[in-house]
Amino acid sequence: MRNMWVIFKKELFRVLTDKRLVLTVFILPGLSIFLIYSIMGEVIGSQFEEDRVYDHAIYAENMPESLEASLEEVLTFHAIEGDYDRETLENMVREEELELALFFEEDFEDKIEAYQTGTDIPQLVVYYNQGHQHSSTAHNRFMQVMNVYHESIIRDRLEDPDDYHPYQLSSENFMDERTVAARGIAMLMPMLVIIFLFVGAMSIGPDAIAGEKERGTIATLLVTPTRRRDIALGKVSSIAVLSLMSALSSFAGILLSLPRLMQFGDEMPDIGIYRLVDFFAIFAVLLTTVVFIVSLIAIISTYAKTIKEANMLIMPFYFVAMIVGILNSFGAEPNHSLWVHFFPIYAPINALSGILMFEYSPVNLVITLLMNLVYSAIFVYILNKMFDNEKVMFTR
Amino acid sequence: MDLEVKNLRKTFNLSRKQRKIERTNEKRRVAVKGLSFEAKRGEIYGLLGPNGAGKTTTLRCISTLIKPDEGDVFVDGMSVLNNSMGVRKNIAFLTNELKLDDFFTPNYLYDYFSRLHGIDEATAEKRKKELFKRFGVDKFSEVKVSDLSSGMKQKTSIAISLVHDPDFIIFDEPTNGLDVLTAKTVVDYLRDLRNAGKAIIVSTHILSVVEKLCDRVGIIIDGELKASGTLAEVKARDKSQDLENLFFTLVEESGGAKRA
Ligand SMILES: Nc1ncnc2c1ncn2[C@@H]1O[C@H](COP(=O)(O)OP(=O)(O)OP(=O)(O)O)[C@@H](O)[C@H]1O
Ligand SMILES: [Mg+2]
Repeated sequence: MRNMWVIFKKELFRVLTDKRLVLTVFILPGLSIFLIYSIMGEVIGSQFEEDRVYDHAIYAENMPESLEASLEEVLTFHAIEGDYDRETLENMVREEELELALFFEEDFEDKIEAYQTGTDIPQLVVYYNQGHQHSSTAHNRFMQVMNVYHESIIRDRLEDPDDYHPYQLSSENFMDERTVAARGIAMLMPMLVIIFLFVGAMSIGPDAIAGEKERGTIATLLVTPTRRRDIALGKVSSIAVLSLMSALSSFAGILLSLPRLMQFGDEMPDIGIYRLVDFFAIFAVLLTTVVFIVSLIAIISTYAKTIKEANMLIMPFYFVAMIVGILNSFGAEPNHSLWVHFFPIYAPINALSGILMFEYSPVNLVITLLMNLVYSAIFVYILNKMFDNEKVMFTR
Repeated sequence: MDLEVKNLRKTFNLSRKQRKIERTNEKRRVAVKGLSFEAKRGEIYGLLGPNGAGKTTTLRCISTLIKPDEGDVFVDGMSVLNNSMGVRKNIAFLTNELKLDDFFTPNYLYDYFSRLHGIDEATAEKRKKELFKRFGVDKFSEVKVSDLSSGMKQKTSIAISLVHDPDFIIFDEPTNGLDVLTAKTVVDYLRDLRNAGKAIIVSTHILSVVEKLCDRVGIIIDGELKASGTLAEVKARDKSQDLENLFFTLVEESGGAKRA
């Protein structure tokens, strides 16, 4: 066991004192996630802001004053004055020089007022350009105004205003704030957890094992009186710790960018809805899952002759894990049947969803944790055999 | 009890890639065919043979890196098959195939391997000073291996493989790739180790190394020992008492060096 710690410490020292590795494994993942999400939040934010302050150019012919006033309430705009024919205006809208052109028939409001069944109805022609952001916004707002206007006219025309409502609607929402927030978290987190853990392990595992084979340094270790079990455990435990650190960096990136990402969308999920036991459960799942993933990657890296080969062989497993994660985030409800908790990867993702949505059975959780450990133990045992197998270690 | 190789046999499966490279159809290759010899404390045994003769394979079996198919090796009475851990504690295996991790300094690596061998710090520190001085590693002990020249790397490797002061030293091609000066340091050190009562086995295809260094020699060709004994005994098998002549005759007799 002593040699396991010697190897563990050396592996940690190896990675943590290498500036390049520290940068690529611990800083870049978190930083890039933080930057990407922050920029996304910024872009969405500035869109809102720009729509609010932008002064839209609108040409309006015979526009009723009441409508102009209503539009002013929802949109910043200035009216274009002057004599233009429709063709010029059409071109201006096309060329994005004008956001909106409105042609109300003369005496638009009076004609509506004077309407009798069978008489002509007044015309309204609208020019806009859906492909132009500001024109599209202006058009949307204008249509909102017109919808309200439309409704009020219909209501006026009915003899009894109550006829306007074919039924009376009263709906009451008994939503639990907690579940809504939880659902959002439960949809994303488990998938991200698995992906981050995999990525972390993939950035360290192949180099630590296949790399040693490729560079020929593993034989130097194998001629020392170190039990193969100690080598296997030393490698797996050190890679697990480093992967966990790398995954935590990614999480930090997400957590730090959440406020910016959420500022214009839904409410920021409040982590305070979870109890301490929930956090313990999450941590237990994380810890056993990282050991599982790392020992899987360690086996593949030991089998492979080069780092490149190891990375290639890991890919299919990574994809499977990713697909399971993505399916889970669509599937929403955690699966409660006992037997699914025996499946690696699926069980921890499912368990995490369950914990995050306040619906998990302790029995299923324990099975998940135990199975993670059992699989890992089997993998470490195989790994131990592999380190003692010259065909694996020295085949040309 | 010293080091005893008994009826050693080792066969490899040839991978498809290897068959292609060597342009052969054989699926298996017998690299060592029932080899027996003995190396005693206080002497240097030389395993002389052309490329592909099975020298490295034999030395790897002795060092427990690979397992013999048949036969056994006894190091101080411990079998490599049944007590590989015991053997590893008392043996050093040196070759330029055993690499050092580029990222670390000789100093760090020395401490690391000392710890793996379970040597207490005070002893390790004292021995490190001696070894580093002897091989001139002290001058670059804080430089990363990646920045060392190949001679410096080889010297570091030698120092590090001897952290545990083993009684048995197995050295595959000891002077391969070393300049004359470094080679001399190594040869001198091996002589000192012999005089200190260690058993040393070196492999080489260079006749002068054998002449200068070895007390006893075995000539291995195609996995078989063709001649063995003290340097004088072996030389006596040739009319002109010339090792080189004998070597060529033996190689020729077995159909030349088939595999380069
Ligand atoms: N791991 C292996 N897989 C397959 N074949 C091998 C393996 N190791 C050695 N061989 C084959 O066994 C034979 C003996 O090889 P070995 O390396 O022992 O020779 P050697 O005497 O050390 O030669 P050299 O002077 O070239 O180092 C060669 O034909 C080699 O191709
Ligand atoms: Mg060789």
